[in-house]
Amino acid sequence: MVLTPDFATRPVISFQHVHKTYSTGTEALRDVNLEVPEGDFLFLVGPSGAGKSTVVRLLIREEKPSKGKIFVDGVELGRMKRRRLPHYRRKVGLVFQDFKLLPNLTVYENIAFALRVLGEPDQHIRARVAEALDTVSLYGKENTYPANLSGGEQQRVAIARALVHAPRFIIADEPTGNLDPATAWEIMQLFLRINARGATVVMATHNREIVDLLRRRVVAIDAGQIARDDRSGRYHDDFAKSEVRAQ
Amino acid sequence: MILRNLKFALNSAWQSFWRNLAVSLAAVLSITLILILAGINLLVGHALSQVLDGFRAKVSEISVNVSDDTPLASVYDFKDQLAADPRVVSVRFVTKDEALTQFKSDPQNLILAQQIEGNPLDAKLDVQVRNLNDVAAVDSMARQWSGVDPTDPTNYQGDFVNRMLQLSQWLELAGVGLLVVLLIVSVVIVMNTIRTAVYHRRKEIEVMKLVGATEWFVRGPFVIEGVMTGLIAAAIALALLAVGYEPVVSRFKSDIGFIPLSYDPAFISSLARDLLLAGAMLGALGSYIGVRRYVRI
Repeated sequence: MVLTPDFATRPVISFQHVHKTYSTGTEALRDVNLEVPEGDFLFLVGPSGAGKSTVVRLLIREEKPSKGKIFVDGVELGRMKRRRLPHYRRKVGLVFQDFKLLPNLTVYENIAFALRVLGEPDQHIRARVAEALDTVSLYGKENTYPANLSGGEQQRVAIARALVHAPRFIIADEPTGNLDPATAWEIMQLFLRINARGATVVMATHNREIVDLLRRRVVAIDAGQIARDDRSGRYHDDFAKSEVRAQ
Repeated sequence: MILRNLKFALNSAWQSFWRNLAVSLAAVLSITLILILAGINLLVGHALSQVLDGFRAKVSEISVNVSDDTPLASVYDFKDQLAADPRVVSVRFVTKDEALTQFKSDPQNLILAQQIEGNPLDAKLDVQVRNLNDVAAVDSMARQWSGVDPTDPTNYQGDFVNRMLQLSQWLELAGVGLLVVLLIVSVVIVMNTIRTAVYHRRKEIEVMKLVGATEWFVRGPFVIEGVMTGLIAAAIALALLAVGYEPVVSRFKSDIGFIPLSYDPAFISSLARDLLLAGAMLGALGSYIGVRRYVRI
């Protein structure tokens, strides 16, 4: 089942005239305006260096905008106090291309970690981790270390960790970048299921096949600006060409 | 929740100490070496202060020689006057006979005592002064007393006392200076060692921050690990110092007998307290500073 986002509702993510210039002088974003309603599934596409990762970094408040405002769930991220930041990040589930799993912890411990920082009791952690393992179909791998898992399995663990605390937003940066097409497709099915449960998903990706197949909202970024925002879009050919040129 | 977080921090610190054993041992080793140096400084300082205390006790006692023709009543008057002085701890009157007996009982005077005819020694007042700085003033008061032997009034050696005072001040200053230098060097070394340990775990810290851990949640295990490292290092340093203390002192005594160095087992407990406290604080401070760069969100 595909949920159509309700654009009439108040956006949960809102970029208002956002500019980002890094201390090196690189202008990563220029006057970006973007609204994401609750329950949306949004692909951020564009050539390398276009500004997709900057959008992700701004969303998880690893960076602050140089100009403009970003609101998430009614809170302006640029003005958020440092001590409030951990509480904000607990509302967000993060998935990265390089998985960012802790190699010294088992699958169970890696997933439980997101709940430990919340100070949840052990009993609660056990139940929630079991549920998350079930969602990503990794039951029976609890005691395995990440090094003994395939790339797809590691990404499943990362997704389980991202959703174990039932976040309202999932932000994913190239989650299928290190995976073969079949595994990438399995991982996308997981994201769709999470989205169907109500979580808003923002995903930066280079994976043209998946974007074209799923026909969800596509926001194309080029040279730091929003070039296109299609409700049911495709990974535009122009980008594919410019990427080939860049290589 | 605080208890759960504390339990998590303790568990993480313990696991991380053993998982990163090579780096942990490097940290333990550097803190141990620093604490051994600090411990040696404290032990030498303590031994020297014992020696100085002995000297101080000796030089803060002066003998006022009484002229043979001074009436006993005048001697007792002056004795009372001295005893009433707040700078004076005690005054003891030693008669001529007692002075002779004392002189003869000293083995160093054995040959001289056999050659003495009659009693050439003065009666004297042995005065114990409370503060070394006041000995000169008490001596000057005694010299002005009419009953004092004008040829040899007192046994006070002003120069020696002044030198002793200077020496003790310099030694105290040197000890404090050395401790300050050790402290600065140790904090820098510990901070860098722990920063290396933290650098190895920067990914872990990044993940902690991304899943919403507070700064103290991230910092806590590192600080506890630092305290643990410091305590282990302090225990090793203490064991080595405790084992080496007695043999070194006795060796020193047999080689350089004129300096009355002594072994003081009671000092070990105060050394233990100081080293454990210093170790724990060094570890905690080094970790706190070392982890700061990576923890800031």
